[in-house]
This record gives sequence, structure tokens and C-alpha cells, in this order.
Amino acid sequence: MATTQTTPLRRCETRYFGPVDYDEQSVMLFPDGIPAFEQEQRFLALRQPINEPLVFLQSLANPNLCFATLPALSACPGYQLSMAPEDLDALRLETGRQPVIGRDVLCLAILSLEENAPPTVNLLAPIVVNLRTLCGRQAIQTDSLYSHREALPLREAACS
Amino acid sequence: MLVMRRRAGESILIGEDIEIQIIHIGESRIKIGITAPKSVPVSTKEVKLVGQENLAAAQLRSVAALRNLLDRLIEGPTGGEK
Repeated sequence: MATTQTTPLRRCETRYFGPVDYDEQSVMLFPDGIPAFEQEQRFLALRQPINEPLVFLQSLANPNLCFATLPALSACPGYQLSMAPEDLDALRLETGRQPVIGRDVLCLAILSLEENAPPTVNLLAPIVVNLRTLCGRQAIQTDSLYSHREALPLREAACS
Repeated sequence: MLVMRRRAGESILIGEDIEIQIIHIGESRIKIGITAPKSVPVSTKEVKLVGQENLAAAQLRSVAALRNLLDRLIEGPTGGEK
């Protein structure tokens, strides 16, 4: 429940940024975790001006677990959600329509950067967080418009 | 691959204790009921795929590599048309 009362900041260790202070009210809860990390239920979304538009999903239980993500609309302008009714229901979102990114939900695509391969984002299964409740899940989309390894719109790499 | 034809309400048995029932056939999706022992993990193929992708994504070593990548990100809607 939202409250105007200020709570003392807590501190957590992060994979890339050392100790970070956070407000308990900014914690995003993933009741089912995400595939392959079902035990990880509490995450922070870390943003830094220098790393815009990246958003880092830091696990609170496991300092070593942090996903680099891009807002889905940054990774793919015009990105459209097609969430399954079960996922909408689990996030307490209206089931009759798709949520609006930025207004109803935060929608992040996990980045994958493997050596000797072009970077990709997972647009098949974005991280969707209800902005009202901060409850989230990785929602596998119901149509196959997007892949789990979607290429990023990059300029040609400067070869040296 | 073994291919079988089934109608709504009919079932397929796998081994002694796994039953797959076709519950409803819709226009573009079908609803399936699965009865299996607790020891048998049941999930969609996409969940496994996404799990593997998450494991790979969690291996990222440094933010420096990412920053390099960011500099090459084409901004605005012009570059991302599909």
C-alpha cells in the first residue's frame, strides 16, 4: 500500500556497482521468479545517467545476479505486447486489453552479450512489471512476432 | 515423430502414468490437460528456451562491454523498423 511516510533506506550489494542504497518501496516483486531463476523474487531496477537507456535488474537475494536490460521500446520502437490472459491475471492487469507500456507497465527486454556474437535482446519474453503494484514476471508473448534473440538496431561497428 | 489425430475430449497416454487430454480446440489455440507424476517436470518449450537465455544473459562480465555497445545503438525510430 502506498504511503507518504519515508522509510529508512536499506543497502544491498550489487554485481556491477558496489553497495547501493534503496527504498523498500521501490523493490519489484516476482512471485514466481523468472525461468531458470525461480527462487529470485525481489529485484531492483537500477538506472544510471551514464548508462542510459540501460536498466539493470539486480537481485536482492543474490548480489551476483544482475540482468542488463533495455526498455522494450528502446530496443524495438513500436514494440507491441501480446500477453497471455494468465500473465495479465497474475499481474492483476485488466484481462480484456493489452497493458500500455509506460502507463500500466514497465516493459524490459533482457540483453544477451555473448562473445563473438552480435548482442541480442529477448523480445519474446520481456520482463513486465505492473507500475501500480510493482509486481512483475517474465511474460512469454502469445504470438511469434518477436524472437528470444532479436538483433539490436546497431550502427556498423568501427573496425580497427 | 509420432503423429496422432485426436478430437476434443480425447486423450493420449504416455507410459503408465502420464495422460494428455485435449480439453478444448479453439480457433488458433488448443487447451490441453496434463496428468503426470509430480516428479515429471511439465512446462512449455518456450519456458525452457527463455530459461536457457536467462542463464546466458546472467553471465555478462562487465558493464564496459555494454557501454561500447550502447554507443552503437541507433537512437530513434528510424533504425528499428522491422
